[in-house]
Amino acid sequence: MLANEYDVVVVGAGTGGYVAAIRAAQLGLKVAVVEKQKALGGTCLIWGCIPTKALLEHAHALKVAQSGKEWGLTGFDPAAVRIDMPAVHARKDKMITGLTGGIEMLFKKNKIDWIKGSARLTGGKAVEVTLHDGGKQVLTATKEVIVATGSAPRSVPGIEPDRKKIMFSDEAIHLGEVPKTMAIMGSGAVGVEFASIFKSFGSEVTVIELLPRLVPGEDEAVSAELEKTFKRKGIKSLTGTKVTSAKAGAKGVDLELASTDQKTQKMTVDVLLVATGRGPVTDGLGAEAVGLKMDRGYIVVDQQFRTSVAGISAIGDVITMGGPHYQLAHVSSMEGVVLAERIAGHTVTPINYDHVPRCTYCDPEIGSVGFTEAQAREKGYDVRVGVFPFKALARARMAGETDGFVKIVADKKYDEVLGVHIIGPRATELIAEAVLALRLECTVEELVKTIHAHPTMSEAVGEASHAAHGAAIHM
Amino acid sequence: MATPVVMPQMGESIAEGTIVRWIKKVGDAVDRDEPLFEISTDKVDAEIPSPVAGTLIDIAVKEGETVAVNSVVATIGAAGEKANEQGAAALADAAPANSPPPSGESQPQAAQGDGTPTKTVSNPSAATSAPAPAATEVKDDDQETAGSDDGRRQKSSPLVRRIAKEHGVDIRQITGTGISGRVTKHDILGYLDAPAAAREPSRAGSGEASPQRPDSRDGGTPPSAPTWSGGGDEVAPMSVMRKKIAEHMIVSRRTSAHVYSVFEVNYSKVDDIRKARRSDYEQRGVKLTFTSFIAKVAVDCLRRHKIINASIDGDNVVYRREINLGIAVALENGLIVPVVKRADDLNILGLSRSIADVADRARAKKLSPDEVHGGTFTITNPGNFGAQFGLPIINQPQVAILGVGAIEKRAVVIDDMIGIRLMGYLTLGYDHRLVDGAVADQFMADVKKGIETFDASQV
Repeated sequence: MLANEYDVVVVGAGTGGYVAAIRAAQLGLKVAVVEKQKALGGTCLIWGCIPTKALLEHAHALKVAQSGKEWGLTGFDPAAVRIDMPAVHARKDKMITGLTGGIEMLFKKNKIDWIKGSARLTGGKAVEVTLHDGGKQVLTATKEVIVATGSAPRSVPGIEPDRKKIMFSDEAIHLGEVPKTMAIMGSGAVGVEFASIFKSFGSEVTVIELLPRLVPGEDEAVSAELEKTFKRKGIKSLTGTKVTSAKAGAKGVDLELASTDQKTQKMTVDVLLVATGRGPVTDGLGAEAVGLKMDRGYIVVDQQFRTSVAGISAIGDVITMGGPHYQLAHVSSMEGVVLAERIAGHTVTPINYDHVPRCTYCDPEIGSVGFTEAQAREKGYDVRVGVFPFKALARARMAGETDGFVKIVADKKYDEVLGVHIIGPRATELIAEAVLALRLECTVEELVKTIHAHPTMSEAVGEASHAAHGAAIHM
Repeated sequence: MATPVVMPQMGESIAEGTIVRWIKKVGDAVDRDEPLFEISTDKVDAEIPSPVAGTLIDIAVKEGETVAVNSVVATIGAAGEKANEQGAAALADAAPANSPPPSGESQPQAAQGDGTPTKTVSNPSAATSAPAPAATEVKDDDQETAGSDDGRRQKSSPLVRRIAKEHGVDIRQITGTGISGRVTKHDILGYLDAPAAAREPSRAGSGEASPQRPDSRDGGTPPSAPTWSGGGDEVAPMSVMRKKIAEHMIVSRRTSAHVYSVFEVNYSKVDDIRKARRSDYEQRGVKLTFTSFIAKVAVDCLRRHKIINASIDGDNVVYRREINLGIAVALENGLIVPVVKRADDLNILGLSRSIADVADRARAKKLSPDEVHGGTFTITNPGNFGAQFGLPIINQPQVAILGVGAIEKRAVVIDDMIGIRLMGYLTLGYDHRLVDGAVADQFMADVKKGIETFDASQV
């Protein structure tokens, strides 16, 4: 094989690209990965999942310390406990360095070459890399080029982030000090997570959502529960409200808001976080030039991740299969695995996107999978629902985290588990059982007969399944 | 020193076996290679000899039970050793003696090593219903071992089983598209949506004739119509062989489009030759029968009509290179079809000898598994018992079967005069998916002519 010839060339080392690379290498393929950032891991490790969840752990520690009296902690004044942002960032950055370094180690172990530079598709299975240390290098793939360039935060028309006061999560994650007031546009996962973090850190937070409820992608009951707990924690929610203008000035950001009933209001905040979604990253990739079919900036692929050009596949946040595509690290990773296996000649079955867990790390956490109650009814199922609140669960009381519930949406006819919606402590962990249940086509009966360890948070899942069949034991 | 006795592997594709009868009882002394028990598997019945001499100290699997290959079924102790309550304990004792790695799985194989149990076998497959050679990687009768509600363990999900129960659907009938052939919700809903009429061919179409497709969906005991039981009725479980026959019959009927042609054949010439040469042959230890002649002619005609000696594999026709002639043999409680391999290499002496040999050994349960595999065409002989002609079911994955009716003197018209001739009907059952009537009749006309004008110099 020539020096610049590989079986597979991956563009982008995010959770889609690096996982695809490792899986392909495990299957005996020679792999190169082009990544322009200084570290491997992409959005997830550098700006997304990992740093935000690190901040959430700090927020949790702060919460425990501030309620030290309740926990019987002495030797300090709980009321005086504050967050030390430089120390928080130091811990977070050290952890991230460890993780991105870990991927580098995995690359070495799997003999994957990291080509440091920016990639451009040049037609066929060739990729031209503009190297960071000068010069160009042309890589060719004998089997396939994988585009995994991911996504970046995106604003909405009329709102121009200056990335100082009107910022994206990329900047919010690095805020050196806690702003006194913060407004957040959008109440998807990113919006409500930052709301929880900065509320804990001491900011006065307002969440502005265009749609009538928070986390509009979740089950309505979950939205209602989140709004209720946000209110109690002092996070202000303005649903059904549009930001019509945002101007950064010396004192902060001046906002003009309009609600759906045409009422307008003004507010001034120190920072505005724009969390209205993410768009595809294809700048400089030359996707159109080589003839990739695109749809609103996304690369169109089929269920086997083939683009319209033979020899080029794409995965992760940058793709569309003809509609909105989950922009989640674990989806990209699975796509990377499936694609690598397909390239290696395995027979692969398409991913079932109805079984993707959705995790939101706000406080309380949200974990969900499958159809919401409304979606299930819309699809014509004869729906039955089982709900169990965490406040009736021993383990939740021990943790002092009694907000939320587990809700199971099932089909009455065949007892199929259609969806599970959890808001509450460890919801993002508890959802794993539900994901497996859906994947294996479980009936509620199976959940009822599954022994849930005591005392654990997971008992709430078992109880909710009992509730779906009539009555929970501990209610 | 105790030696475990395991359920032997009677063929590569056989996963389990049923103990039909214990020949020895606990406490009995056995010699090495003395028959210990009788088994019945998917393909063969066999007497299993003891791997060692000693005393049978434990029987772990009762008569009628089905266990996986290599499961310990009994323990043989040293001569005079007392009966052991725990077969497992005996097995543990035996492990070091049988050397290899002390993992549970390897011990039985070691024990099997000195046992050489595969000696005498016979095939429970019915004359007209032996399974496709490749279609036998089937773990049938799971219901016997698992005893679960789900019947045989076709992979499925709880949801699928619930839907199947509600609709009274046998999950085994559904092709699974999930991991490892798991039947998914999508599969069963698709199956239920399909019009009932459309289900049948889809099952059969891709089924038995295709080697990659063991009859997993059609295995097991076929569903039967609801029955009723009167006061004095005797209810007896079906033998393994009976169940296999039942199953293979149904599979064949579902798979092939059965059509029949009946020809009347004049055996007078053949009878003359037979009478003339019978004593010669008897001196050589071979009985010259009508079947010998019919087989010889059929084999010769098969060489000329390749489509009769073929199989359907998916969308392909497999024209068999060899002519392997299956001969249906009636047993006391069933039927088997031993196969004379490369029958076209044999002259009538060799053919007669081979047919007699496999038939004798079939009745004595002394066939090897190989001898019931790989048939490409079958002859069955309902006339033995006086039937004028029969309508036999094709032996899958073959496409034709020749039924020989009673051979008897009849009044026939010859040159406008009535004469007495030795006559008999021959029936060809053929699969109209592959064989058209004209082709089948040309073959039969050829067979008829071959018999009626048999060349005496060949004998």
